[in-house]
Amino acid sequence: MVGKDCVAIASDLRLGSQSLGVSNNFEKVFNFGHVFLGLTGLASDVTTLSETFRFKTNMYKMREDRLIEPETFANLVSSTLYEKRFGPYFVGPIVAGINSKTEKPFICGFDLIGCIDFAKDFIVAGTASDQLYGMCESVYEPNLEPEDLFETISQALLNAADRDALSGWGAVVYVITKDKIVKRYLKSRQD
Amino acid sequence: MAQTTVASEYSSEVHAEPIEHRFNPYSDNGGTILGIAGEDFAVLAGDTRQSEGYSIQSRSMSKVFDVGDNILMSANGFAADGDALVKAFQNQLKWYHFNHNKELSIHSAARLTQQLLYGKRFFPYYVHTILAGVDEEGKGAVYSFDPVGSYEREQCRAGGAAASLIMPFLDNQVNFKNQMDPSSNGTKKKELRYLSLQEVVNLVKDAFSSATERHINVGDALQIVIVTKDGARTEYHSLKKD
Amino acid sequence: MAGLSFENYQRNQFLAAKGHGVPKATSTGTTIVGCKFKGGVVIAADTRATSGPIVADKNCEKLHRLSPKIWCAGAGTAADTEMVTALISSNLELHSMSTSRAPRVVTALTMLKQHLFKYQGHIGAYLIVAGVDPTGSHLFSVQAHGSTDIGFYQSLGSGSLAAMAVLESNWHEDLDKEGAMKLCSDAIQAGIWNDLGSGSNVDLCVMEVGKDAVLYRNHLTPNVREQKASSYKFARGTTAILKEDIFKLIDVEEETIHSEAMEVDA
Repeated sequence: MVGKDCVAIASDLRLGSQSLGVSNNFEKVFNFGHVFLGLTGLASDVTTLSETFRFKTNMYKMREDRLIEPETFANLVSSTLYEKRFGPYFVGPIVAGINSKTEKPFICGFDLIGCIDFAKDFIVAGTASDQLYGMCESVYEPNLEPEDLFETISQALLNAADRDALSGWGAVVYVITKDKIVKRYLKSRQD
Repeated sequence: MAQTTVASEYSSEVHAEPIEHRFNPYSDNGGTILGIAGEDFAVLAGDTRQSEGYSIQSRSMSKVFDVGDNILMSANGFAADGDALVKAFQNQLKWYHFNHNKELSIHSAARLTQQLLYGKRFFPYYVHTILAGVDEEGKGAVYSFDPVGSYEREQCRAGGAAASLIMPFLDNQVNFKNQMDPSSNGTKKKELRYLSLQEVVNLVKDAFSSATERHINVGDALQIVIVTKDGARTEYHSLKKD
Repeated sequence: MAGLSFENYQRNQFLAAKGHGVPKATSTGTTIVGCKFKGGVVIAADTRATSGPIVADKNCEKLHRLSPKIWCAGAGTAADTEMVTALISSNLELHSMSTSRAPRVVTALTMLKQHLFKYQGHIGAYLIVAGVDPTGSHLFSVQAHGSTDIGFYQSLGSGSLAAMAVLESNWHEDLDKEGAMKLCSDAIQAGIWNDLGSGSNVDLCVMEVGKDAVLYRNHLTPNVREQKASSYKFARGTTAILKEDIFKLIDVEEETIHSEAMEVDA
């Protein structure tokens, strides 16, 4: 979600095999410098891809002697996913961050084969995506301050996850501003 | 003879099943409905778009009905079954009046709906049904049903195409789910209270305009029917038509 | 990257067969059209991207640049239209550099159809290719399997029938630029209103012989959402927090200090 000079990215903490909950401590948000990546989907692909991107962003850092920017990273994600066009990773990635040069907030989402969805307001992904679309579309408003953005994204996530049998079991929210990142674990239903 | 090694296993991807042609008696006509119970009123709302596949069949098809005796009914899903169910209900209601010469209460209407739905257990009405009215104590009531008659009385319920988009929003704004009292530092839940009619109508409008934004089968116009002990009243609002 | 990788193909077939949910690719449900006029060609598109019945992107760009004066509108699998367009655009640039000539629309068309035919329709890109080159203005369409069509007007996508109805009834040979722009946006609007796979805004691109191509991004915006009935801003402290970590970003400046060369292997 985008706010006034800030972005937020949130995810639940459940890892499950169909209806069986396996872990309540499976974080799906990764950071590469100041760029954040949310990855939902098949857990093995989530781990594989996050490691692939760790490798690729580290290589980028060495070649360019600077950290990767959100816009650049989005294109890296897109081409990495499309490389596997006919045997895709089962994932739903989201990128969020603030460009360190322009200080502009940036978010985008992808389908599993790397089609980028540039949005000005919010991006959702995962098994509760329908619920999240409903929540975000009704609760979101533009230009929220970081503290208000936190409340809005948290409420959107929590209530959407409660209406999806495969989501929940804790939640984590990152609120990103240009010089500070606040990470909060939320109190949520555990069923 | 030695088995030849297949370079790839794609050769095994053959579909050997014979092609079967079959008549499918059901279709999905989209649309969404929503019922909320207040302290002394209830509302039942639905969009007026009826669609099949990527085509719009009608932009102005009402699907919320005042079936009499201050009972609102809407059956959303397969439109033909929805209409048939409402007609069957109205017919039964008429006979109830002849036989008993009194109004049908909302809880009896709910039980009747269950009987009608379960009566077609093995060739169901392909609909999600919601009933709204005022109970015998004067309190707003909403009953929701699955296609074969399992039902429950609730404070609010969304049904149909965009139910999954609207339901979490209702949990949050009607039952204050996941909301804490801001002054309690996250230790006390926000206290429950009845919403006023104006609050409920605003909630319904926003739920539908949001669903219209993100669901292709929702749009055109919104019909909100409000029922109190004094009768039912209908409001129409426009929704986006793309 | 050496071609596309099929690594996970069999794994995914297995996973899908086992009943795991397969994520949906976004498709550009879409209405796209193109029409020629005296001295140029116009293409237009709606801006809705869908994933099943859900609108994934309300304002996506379906008009892609192949070269400065050759543009194409894409329908079908969103990622495929995007990627195939980027690939051909790149190859077209290399081709024009090696031949020292401005790229031609037929060249783009041939490269596209040969690429798509090679993939036997598995790359789900349905495109309307248009542009101006030294031989004049051109309008083509390509199907995912590699077949192509030529015409004075074209429409593709789920809203193609609605759009074609408008094109068939209103197109005439001596259309001017403004007339063509109006015709194309009317055809797209027919899709926006009457086809559920299409919606939101109209994007338009005009390519005139002897002039730079002009992209009219959001040429028409007939679907702006109106103000909500109430605000749903939550009071601060509404969400219960278990734990909070704060990371401050600081600038680290590295300085290499040159001193006497270190003695190695004394």
